[in-house]
Amino acid sequence: MYASAALRNLKRKLNGWMIISVIGAFAALIPSLYILFGLFGAPNENWAHIKQYVLLDSALQSLWLVLGTGSFSVIIGVSLAWLTAAYDFPLRRFFHFVFVLPLAIPPYIAAYTYGAMLSYTGSVQAFMRNVLGVTPNQAYFDIMSMKGAIFVFTLFLFPYVYLITKTFMERQSAAFIENARLLGKGPLHVFFRIVLPISKAAIIGGVSLVAFEVLNDFGVTKHFGISSFTTAIFKTWFGMYDVDSAIRLAGLLMSFVIGLFILERLVRRRRAYHSSTSKLKPLTRRKLCGIPAWAAVAFSSIIFALSFAIPVLQLIVWATWTYRDVFNDKFAGMIGNTLLVAFVSISLLMLLAVIVANVSRASKRSIFTLALTKLISMGYSIPGAVLSIGVLAVFISIDERLGGLYERLGWGANKLLLSMSLAMLVCAYVIRFLSVGYNAVEAGFDKIGNRYSEASRMLGAGMTRTFFKVDLPMIKGAVLTGFILTFMEIVKELPLTLLLRPFNFETLATKAYQYASDEQIHQASVPALFIIAVGAVSVFFYHWLGERKST
Amino acid sequence: MTKKYIVGIVLLTMMTVLVLAGCGANNVGNDKGNATTPAPAADAAEETADTAQDTGKNQAVNVFTARHYDVDSQLFDAFTKETGIKVNEIKGTAEELVERLKREGESSEADLFVTVDGGVLNYAKQNDVLQPIQSATVDSNVPAEWRDKDNSWVGIATRARVIVYAKDRVKPEQLSTYEDLASDKWKGKVLARSSSSLYNQSLVASFIELNGEQQAEEWAKGVVSNFAREPEGGDRDQAKAIVAGTGDVAIMNTYYVGQMLNSKDAEEVKVAEKIGVFFPNQDTTGTHLNISGVGLTKHAKNKDNAIKLIEYMTGQAGQTLLTQGSFEFPVNEAADIPELLKGWGTFKTQQLDYAKLGEHNKIAVELLNKAGWK
Repeated sequence: MYASAALRNLKRKLNGWMIISVIGAFAALIPSLYILFGLFGAPNENWAHIKQYVLLDSALQSLWLVLGTGSFSVIIGVSLAWLTAAYDFPLRRFFHFVFVLPLAIPPYIAAYTYGAMLSYTGSVQAFMRNVLGVTPNQAYFDIMSMKGAIFVFTLFLFPYVYLITKTFMERQSAAFIENARLLGKGPLHVFFRIVLPISKAAIIGGVSLVAFEVLNDFGVTKHFGISSFTTAIFKTWFGMYDVDSAIRLAGLLMSFVIGLFILERLVRRRRAYHSSTSKLKPLTRRKLCGIPAWAAVAFSSIIFALSFAIPVLQLIVWATWTYRDVFNDKFAGMIGNTLLVAFVSISLLMLLAVIVANVSRASKRSIFTLALTKLISMGYSIPGAVLSIGVLAVFISIDERLGGLYERLGWGANKLLLSMSLAMLVCAYVIRFLSVGYNAVEAGFDKIGNRYSEASRMLGAGMTRTFFKVDLPMIKGAVLTGFILTFMEIVKELPLTLLLRPFNFETLATKAYQYASDEQIHQASVPALFIIAVGAVSVFFYHWLGERKST
Repeated sequence: MTKKYIVGIVLLTMMTVLVLAGCGANNVGNDKGNATTPAPAADAAEETADTAQDTGKNQAVNVFTARHYDVDSQLFDAFTKETGIKVNEIKGTAEELVERLKREGESSEADLFVTVDGGVLNYAKQNDVLQPIQSATVDSNVPAEWRDKDNSWVGIATRARVIVYAKDRVKPEQLSTYEDLASDKWKGKVLARSSSSLYNQSLVASFIELNGEQQAEEWAKGVVSNFAREPEGGDRDQAKAIVAGTGDVAIMNTYYVGQMLNSKDAEEVKVAEKIGVFFPNQDTTGTHLNISGVGLTKHAKNKDNAIKLIEYMTGQAGQTLLTQGSFEFPVNEAADIPELLKGWGTFKTQQLDYAKLGEHNKIAVELLNKAGWK
């Protein structure tokens, strides 16, 4: 009975939008399913060893990382979001811009930078030794530890929480907060009783991005010598030469993340806040004076210095040592490659994200659409290197099937047409980061609620017309946020790019990695600075668009 | 307003599709060029080799490489300059590239596979993605000990995994063997990087081959109990920790000592000057070497060009370029080595079949896990 009701429901909802999202989702799914099916095969002889010596410890280490980073990102991200959204203090506009910049720095570059900076030969200790004449205890500078990893992850990932929460607070919370203020509630009461509960969805959305980033990281944990779950996957693959067990571990990680996803959605679905007026009034800021104002500036400055200014300055210093050896005319090509592949992928990705989000919103209660949205997000939960194997397997098998066709079309006897072109890498990016774009768009839809589109549909406009006339203008900001977030991700992305690129395709990230992986952080600084510059420009562009829109 | 946006989005999408198609088309052009040069039969390929000089411009060789060093690119550029054969590269992680080769099968466009570590080279061989390299020049360039016994791969350079020590606290006479690092006298003084490093895995694999699994495991446990701190950072970080006083001795590659002595950072140079390099096991089994090598892929489409590149890489000019740029030990004795390497002199190396390292790598990882070597 339930099934037939679901079927009826599905039939009613079946239209172009639905069909595109189902096709898109399935295309995105195949490589992930390939990984997930790894769980169902019989384990080989290595599995017993992995279970006994590796599994529990690495899962615990990863859990600590996620919990630590998650909590600190929420504390820093939410407090800064609230500070810049609700108060006015000196340099506010500057801070509001620069708090997004840490996202432009790949965490593994940050880890290498802080690691080298605080090492015995690094600028900090060298200064203390040579200028102050003190040789400090090494234990104080032990950044290459669990604590250090949480420090690095927090500083370079908190902007996810900050950005999503702040956008929500500025646009969405004004009515609630001003009512509370009118009713005479103090700032603490407003923050804990009003702001936190209504921003819960946005905060959880942000912190889940942070959690996935941490779970997938390999660079930071490997350099710091932490046995995380991802390091376990690679040790199994690269050390024990056991791809199957590695895929099995990745499948485990993936099912854990899907569990997290479902939990997150349950929390988010429970309650919805729709605003009572059709005017989305921005929050009016209160001016801070005296000590509170200076405290706000000091706090913001410390975070900015640690998460951007200091590492970038350090990289610039190193770049002045090495640019002569590293910088050459190939850099223009690398920047071009980086931008090209990012723009192509993001355009496809955002298109798909908007379509799926629109479909899932229109029929939110249905199990089918719920499953659909969970599944398209799976790509984000698998370590890039493992996902790349799934993508590679799928593309090669497509190529093999189409081999005859290529020949008939006169494209030469070469079989690996798709998997030797950029198409493979572009698809991999779409699969991997669809979730980032989708989350941003979905948050946008959550924000405007359903009443406008329902009114439009009631008045006889179709789904497509409603989307373009009513929804799209209102979620433009969210789409742009998604665009910028995925852009920064793709510019930094490493494992997919490394394995799936065509011949002679070098991006800034692969160049930076080339040096960093060989412990040549001084040389890596040059491409790393380019990555940061590209990211910073996109942040600037995003702000410029935002400012122009609001005036 | 909205219409403009929609039109914009549609145009952008169309453009991206066009760009994509363009890239695809370009690739097809290139690939066809590559694919048509080698004729299906080896004999026919032989003939084209003679005319390589004339058609030099269209010649290419495709390399999958896990060595990401600038000096490798310089080497390839020099080869292109000399022969007119273009070198196309995909750089990646060795095991991933093997996986890609495996999955691409017959259609693969890669001709050569280059990586650090004999174990991985053997892994490629076991996965049946390589074929024997038949070249008298290569055989005379590279002594048999640096070649696979079936010539599935040949070495291009080596690094010694040595013991470095604090010059002010440790006398070289106190050092003897790797095995000695597990003894009580080094309690709280030993430094090493994590066991996810291939270098450590290979080292343990060599002990499994030479001393047996049980002794290797005892060694790993002994070293872990002697650690001055939990493993962290890379090889360079171990050297820094010695000078900082965290520990007295560390396991490290000579390659990084060379890199640090020539660092742009004056502080790193100071550190490198304060540590001594000791080649262990000179009276017993010899010092462990990490070998970098090149293999010819099973389905190479540009076989002749590929062999030419191997000959160049192992020849005197190529080897000199390589060792001068990376401070690795050359495999060809004719190469002109840097002063630093000359200063270290000759030393006894482990005598073993590199294929064995690949076979033992798995057990090495398992016993490192058991020993609790992070």
